[in-house]
Amino acid sequence: MLDNNLLHDLMARSALREQRAFAELYRYTGPKLFAVALRILRREDWAEEVLQESFVSIWNHANGYSSSKSAPMTWMTAIVRNRALDWLRRPNIEAGDENYDVLVESVADEGDGPDVQLGKAQAGRALAECLKLLSNNQRQSIALAYVHGLSHGELSEHMKEPLGTVKTWIRRGLERLKGCLDSNPSVG
Amino acid sequence: MRDALAAEYALGTLQGRARRRFERVLKEDPALRWQVDQWQERLLPLSEGITPVTPPARVWRSIDARIQGRARPSGIWQHLPFWRWLSATAATALVAVSVYWGLWLPTHNANKEYMVVVMSDQQLRPMMTVSWPMEDIGKAKLRIRVIGHQEMSPDTAWELWVLGGAERKPLSLGLITTHETQEVTIPSELLAAVNAAWGMAMSVEPKGGSPLGKPTGPVLYSGPCTKI
Repeated sequence: MLDNNLLHDLMARSALREQRAFAELYRYTGPKLFAVALRILRREDWAEEVLQESFVSIWNHANGYSSSKSAPMTWMTAIVRNRALDWLRRPNIEAGDENYDVLVESVADEGDGPDVQLGKAQAGRALAECLKLLSNNQRQSIALAYVHGLSHGELSEHMKEPLGTVKTWIRRGLERLKGCLDSNPSVG
Repeated sequence: MRDALAAEYALGTLQGRARRRFERVLKEDPALRWQVDQWQERLLPLSEGITPVTPPARVWRSIDARIQGRARPSGIWQHLPFWRWLSATAATALVAVSVYWGLWLPTHNANKEYMVVVMSDQQLRPMMTVSWPMEDIGKAKLRIRVIGHQEMSPDTAWELWVLGGAERKPLSLGLITTHETQEVTIPSELLAAVNAAWGMAMSVEPKGGSPLGKPTGPVLYSGPCTKI
């Protein structure tokens, strides 16, 4: 688990243009964020490129980061995921040639679903509990969209269900998650 | 509806033109931005199961190369590239600000050595100066000049930080105002840090100052120390 106080400190010092603090921030968070990009992009060269772009952006915007809004890891993960998704959906780029079925299976292989592998952090536990309230389809489509960056269309194709059905799973699943997390005092 | 869109944006399933349009709205809608932040926070634990993978060393080398020149060196402030950086970016600012200095320094102190910090915004425009005499620092006060008529957002405070060195954290010199000229007494426990400072920074904090004893809000201005 990454220490939130340490990350806050490194972010603040990076905002003050302290290169050494920024290098340390990269050393602590780079491997996790690289893995996040890799899951979505499934090509190492692309993930390297996205990681590089993301950290240059983190450096440039560190002084606009406000810890009152979100935790450093949330902020940095959002930057990496957004860049990876943008990269994936650039016109004329096919996201590798692997079949998404492999992904669906790999998620299935990871146990009873994403809830099992959620971390030990309190927020993670709360999310895991709340995910249990979702139907299998809702849970799986949300996890595939988040972790592997699948679009509605890709989800529909690989879960072999109409687009409208998949969209409804996601929408209802997210609504339910929010209702559950907001009524759970251990979260945020 | 807004929250549903914020959720799908954070999840990544809001795509194409809708995503672009949503991002444009986000820039001007802090309430929506907040909803997205909330969703990113809620969904983050989904990434906790992802096993970290160490990226190749070339990634950091590229990042490092790209941020050079936009960085302040840590600790080795007397190092040559620092002065090169200073002369490239801040010398003009120093000249501009020295006009103020003529008015600000009492003439009989002309032989004294002063430390001057020209603090600039992100575009390297000088926005504020802090100065103090080098000798007799125990009795000295920091003289602060805010350049131009500046305004502070309501319910915020400006906090001044001394940057003492590579390993040390920014230390708070207290809150300042937007007044054009002001003086701040150096807390006695910070005399050594001010003496060894290589730079200063000013961050926007909640009313009453940072609750954490370190900068939590955006850093508006910062700059290196220069002896004159």
